[in-house]
Amino acid sequence: MPVIETHNLTKSYGARRGISDIELSVNRGEIFGFLGPNGAGKSTTIRVLLGFLRASEGSAQILGHDCWSDSTAVRQQVGYVSGDVRLYPWLTLNRGLQFTGQVRGMDLRSHGLELAERFRLEPDLPVRKMSRGNRQKVALVLALAHKPQLVVLDEPTSGLDPLMQDALMDCLRDMAKEGRSAFFSSHTLSEVETLCKRVAIIRDGQIVSCEQLETLRRQAPRVVHLTFESPDAAAAVEWPNFIRLQSQDGSRCELHMDGAATDLVDWAATQTLTDIDVSPPNLEAVFRQFYGDQWGADR
Amino acid sequence: MKGLLLKIFLETRWPVIFFGAGLAAIMSILTWVLPTILGDIADVFQSIPLIKPLISALLGVDPDSQFSAQMTQAFLWVHPTVLCTLWGHEIMYCTRSPAGEIDRGTIDFLLGLPVSRWKLHIAETIGWLASGIIILGIGISGHVIVAQQFVEKMQPSLSAISMILCNLMSMYIAVGTIAMLVSSLSDRRNRAMGVVFAILLVSFLLNFLAQFWKPAEPWARLSVLEYYRPAEIIQEGTLPTTNIAILLTVGTICWITAGLILRRRSICTV
Repeated sequence: MPVIETHNLTKSYGARRGISDIELSVNRGEIFGFLGPNGAGKSTTIRVLLGFLRASEGSAQILGHDCWSDSTAVRQQVGYVSGDVRLYPWLTLNRGLQFTGQVRGMDLRSHGLELAERFRLEPDLPVRKMSRGNRQKVALVLALAHKPQLVVLDEPTSGLDPLMQDALMDCLRDMAKEGRSAFFSSHTLSEVETLCKRVAIIRDGQIVSCEQLETLRRQAPRVVHLTFESPDAAAAVEWPNFIRLQSQDGSRCELHMDGAATDLVDWAATQTLTDIDVSPPNLEAVFRQFYGDQWGADR
Repeated sequence: MKGLLLKIFLETRWPVIFFGAGLAAIMSILTWVLPTILGDIADVFQSIPLIKPLISALLGVDPDSQFSAQMTQAFLWVHPTVLCTLWGHEIMYCTRSPAGEIDRGTIDFLLGLPVSRWKLHIAETIGWLASGIIILGIGISGHVIVAQQFVEKMQPSLSAISMILCNLMSMYIAVGTIAMLVSSLSDRRNRAMGVVFAILLVSFLLNFLAQFWKPAEPWARLSVLEYYRPAEIIQEGTLPTTNIAILLTVGTICWITAGLILRRRSICTV
């Protein structure tokens, strides 16, 4: 049984764009990336999944429970951190563990304090005295302390320093090893790339791709730099169909290559080249293609 | 539920103590000074004619030119500062959730926990009723202590105080549930507070206008003050069951409606 399953999930806000026909399936033990530019519908999808918003059409289930009518049961097994973390000013981590522990009917103190140590968090510092990053850490600890079957994180690394980002990634990997799942939204490709095996890309409220990252990598072009003996030689060359010229600077050309490098090697042997540089598959180019014009604006 | 009540306690303990202490101070001072002030009220009625309908509106009966001991005692319970303190607390408390939580963005954290919205509504209601009882309890203790120690004329009878408290609590419930209803419809706490304040202001004005403007009389039935009559309770010595029933009916309808709206509405902080 999938941990998250949605069919034709739609939420409309009247004139404002919502989400439309979202089809998702997240498996047990999977860290699933949910990518999209700002305003694409990531948070709306998450809010529908957690029962904050009622879907206009379609269905969404988490661990077999309907996300709207049975949302309390859903949230019993889910940890959630919102995109823009806002906590009560009086809250300390200790009080939070006590309060959320009572709500969840379990003692969260021991695992919560372990996580606090991992995230280097002071348990008795009130939220009103915390930096944004520390508030984010409190929210993460409170979301993870009850060892949820699924953790839903809406752009969780914003505000965290690189070390804490690594700590979070480690936590999520540990969760996945234990057969628990994570649904991870982001507009930053690099963090999804290091963590997730499968990603869905949302744009303008619709899923434009839902693939294994490896599959996307195979689709991704490689960036090739070729240096010719002279600018004239570079200008005169006829490019084969598996490479596309992106730019030329004198005798140096930047190209995008589809397919295997062997074709390039065979073709290059017939040219007057002084240097060849082939980069790993450029996933960013694939995402740019999916994001379209919004990508540039959001970066 | 225990966790939610703990959260409510942590959030509201200081405001409840401050409102309680404020009410105690106001009621003690009024107990002390009202007999003196109202003793000379005939002169005030003559110099400022608008005062009499204002006091009549609050009391629900014509105080004549001489304030009796009973009227003086009753006036304490309808004094605008007493009502404003109680209503101020209600407006602040009952707009905390969901309007206040949505407004400050903490609803995401709260609703991320496994609590049903009905449970949230019930927990808020328990906290609100308990806080009302505590504030009134502290306030009344101020009045009783000052009356018993210093102002014999203001010494209340236990039965009269009990009946007035029943009437006051039912008005507290009606006003609070109206605030809860407005809050359940709103995403902005300031807006919700403003709407409830406007409702109370209109309620007060209707009651006031009905004293000297005939067309306003039928509309005065829409005012909560129309059903809160300590003067009649002290004069007649009977519990105003009809008034209490009306206020509690309004309260029940508003409370259930607020809960249903909260249960069914989409909540979005972005």
